[in-house]
Amino acid sequence: MAKTSLSRLFASLSEHSITKPSFTGSRSDSVTRSAYNSVTRFVCSSAQETQLIREERSNEGDREAAKENLESVNKEEDEGEDGDHVNKETGEVGGPKGPEPTRYGDWERNGRCSDF
Amino acid sequence: MAASIAYVGGHLQYGVNFCMGQSYKQAIWVPSVTFNGCLQRELSWSCGVSKFLQIRKCNLFRSRTNENWKSFGTVITSAYLRDGSTKYFDFAVIGSGVAGLRYALEVAKHGSVAIITKAEPHESNTNYAQGGVSAVLCPSDSVESHMQDTIVAGAYLCDEESVKVVCTEGPDRIRELIAMGASFDHGDDGNLHLAREGGHSHHRIVHAADMTGREIERALLEAVVNDPNISVFKHHFAIDLLTSQDGSDTVCHGIDALNTETQEVVRFISKVTLLASGGAGHIYPSTTNPLVATGDGMAMAHRAQAVISNMEFVQFHPTALADEGLPIKPKKTRENSFLITEAVRGDGGILYNLSMERFMPLYDGRAELAPRDVVARSIDDQLKKRNEKYVLLDISHKPREKILSHFPNIANECLQHGLDITQQPIPVVPAAHYMCGGVRAGLQGETNVHGLYVAGEVACTGLHGANRLASNSLLEALVFARRAVQPSINYMKSSSLDLSASSLWTRPLVPKSLGSDVMHKILRITKEVRKELQSIMWKYVGIVRSTSRLQEAEQKIGKLEAKWETYLFEHGWQQTMVALEACEMRNLFCCAKLVVSSALARNESRGLHYMTDFPHLEESKRLPTVIFPSSHTTGTWSSRQLHQQPIVKSMV
Repeated sequence: MAKTSLSRLFASLSEHSITKPSFTGSRSDSVTRSAYNSVTRFVCSSAQETQLIREERSNEGDREAAKENLESVNKEEDEGEDGDHVNKETGEVGGPKGPEPTRYGDWERNGRCSDF
Repeated sequence: MAASIAYVGGHLQYGVNFCMGQSYKQAIWVPSVTFNGCLQRELSWSCGVSKFLQIRKCNLFRSRTNENWKSFGTVITSAYLRDGSTKYFDFAVIGSGVAGLRYALEVAKHGSVAIITKAEPHESNTNYAQGGVSAVLCPSDSVESHMQDTIVAGAYLCDEESVKVVCTEGPDRIRELIAMGASFDHGDDGNLHLAREGGHSHHRIVHAADMTGREIERALLEAVVNDPNISVFKHHFAIDLLTSQDGSDTVCHGIDALNTETQEVVRFISKVTLLASGGAGHIYPSTTNPLVATGDGMAMAHRAQAVISNMEFVQFHPTALADEGLPIKPKKTRENSFLITEAVRGDGGILYNLSMERFMPLYDGRAELAPRDVVARSIDDQLKKRNEKYVLLDISHKPREKILSHFPNIANECLQHGLDITQQPIPVVPAAHYMCGGVRAGLQGETNVHGLYVAGEVACTGLHGANRLASNSLLEALVFARRAVQPSINYMKSSSLDLSASSLWTRPLVPKSLGSDVMHKILRITKEVRKELQSIMWKYVGIVRSTSRLQEAEQKIGKLEAKWETYLFEHGWQQTMVALEACEMRNLFCCAKLVVSSALARNESRGLHYMTDFPHLEESKRLPTVIFPSSHTTGTWSSRQLHQQPIVKSMV
């Protein structure tokens, strides 16, 4: 589904500079279309991302499967990228990149809290 | 009226507060059914008409306060004669989360084990536990420090012995998990990487990326599947414990379950039963718990005469994403809430009500940076005062890149629903997360019901007190599951399976005779009643409570339950009939009532329980809330075991 792949792209692009999508109010179609258009140039730069466009088209309307796909892709991506990552401050191997999950007392990843 | 007494008998060593309200006039520990001297133990639980007559000869009173009993006699005879599937095991485990699986793996070395789980085995609160497990694993840390942190978080209501046992045995339980194949994150020095969560004075949280619960569940399930002595019965919904009276003791002999795939009732006769069925988040409309968490174990235990404790301490998270506030609503109701991290507030997020008024400064000088429980109470108060469904958390004034790099998960989720958090505020509402209370357990996981042990969220071991310390719940499950093993084995060895026991209790009945039209109506009404119950609980038994609101909740829940039961029985539903949704509903009613009663009994504010008419801590009330089994003179369908005798007045 369009929105799912879009958000997956947002996740992968969050660490690069993003061209500001032109959200023209709260109507979902225009939001999706304009945001999608503005990130297509990033999409074409790798095979993985091109594949996502194909996935997006075939999964249109199947939100559940798409959501699971998103989560597993995010997971794979995290594992793939963080497999050899060593945190300079804590020495943690394979841990999360970015801010320390427990920095505000709760346990958070990417904004979502899972324990407190 | 609340009173403090020393517990009569049992293994508790200190006084308790107990509720002496209307429902619990006979709250002094009495057996709920008095067959002593009249019938042999073997005959006590059969409900056939002939045996009913025998009981009458024994001069037991029966009060017919409920019209529903009219058709009881005839129905039960036919049910009694029906044959069904019975399975015999040494150990029966209800629930497949960390507590159930951990226990099963140990006792399987000594006998046959059945794991009964209501959905897929991995569908448990454990699987959603994505923080870590706390344990003292660092040389500079100490058991005393972990204990102190736990007790402070628990507002000094913790049972110190339980705390000591858990903090002391935790590290070994973690090492065992690793030996079983669970892989936790390490540092580059090869040691376990330990994180430090709020409330902990040391780094002591062991974790597996951010899916600790899932990783533990995975490792344990793998071992379970490979164990020839363990049989897993998935999609088997536990209905009621099978119990009998032996003098003044209640004894557990197993459990009735409904195979929800084949719609067949299966009776499990076991020497020992472990209840590890998890939490009850779904008594509230917004919860982080998966759909399976409907308080089945707490309800079954209460019906089986087990003592329940501290049910008023329900842990909420203040800021879960509120689907009602999203421009594009999710197509189906989100099963478990998306919690927005404290980091959003820490990074400068501001809370507004729907009139765009910043309200936190009214409640606390620290505004959005006040402790989480203050924030939770403030949001709850705003929602109740203004009769609104959510508040707003605004981070859009912060640099766009920072928002997207720190909180991509929230950004994605909201974007999928038409909300751009770099431009608009996030709708949030508190969500129920964890039940600190439950079935009262001793240090070996034993309950007052012989042969019944408990572990995990369903249990109240005294570890959490009035508030759970982060990452202590998986630990509690591991430790108590392990501690229940040896007593279980000893008990198992000293008991014998009575192969004729299966006929002692009326068998539950699948409602085929009702027809699909009636079933459809019943299911539809039940769904609405569930929503109504959740709405009452949130409105009247939320984070900020008061005596008048709790009493109103009691009234409304009582009326709603009566209305629902009447509807069912008017449409031909029979006492011993079972269906997943109806059984879950009766469990939700049972748990909701336990929470309300417990909340009414605590006339102070402590930890998670806050009362506007008793806003302070009272040292004299630093006692657990205990609910004894009631004698079911005014019992409802939700408060009696399916196979239990009709209302019998106990000898008072």
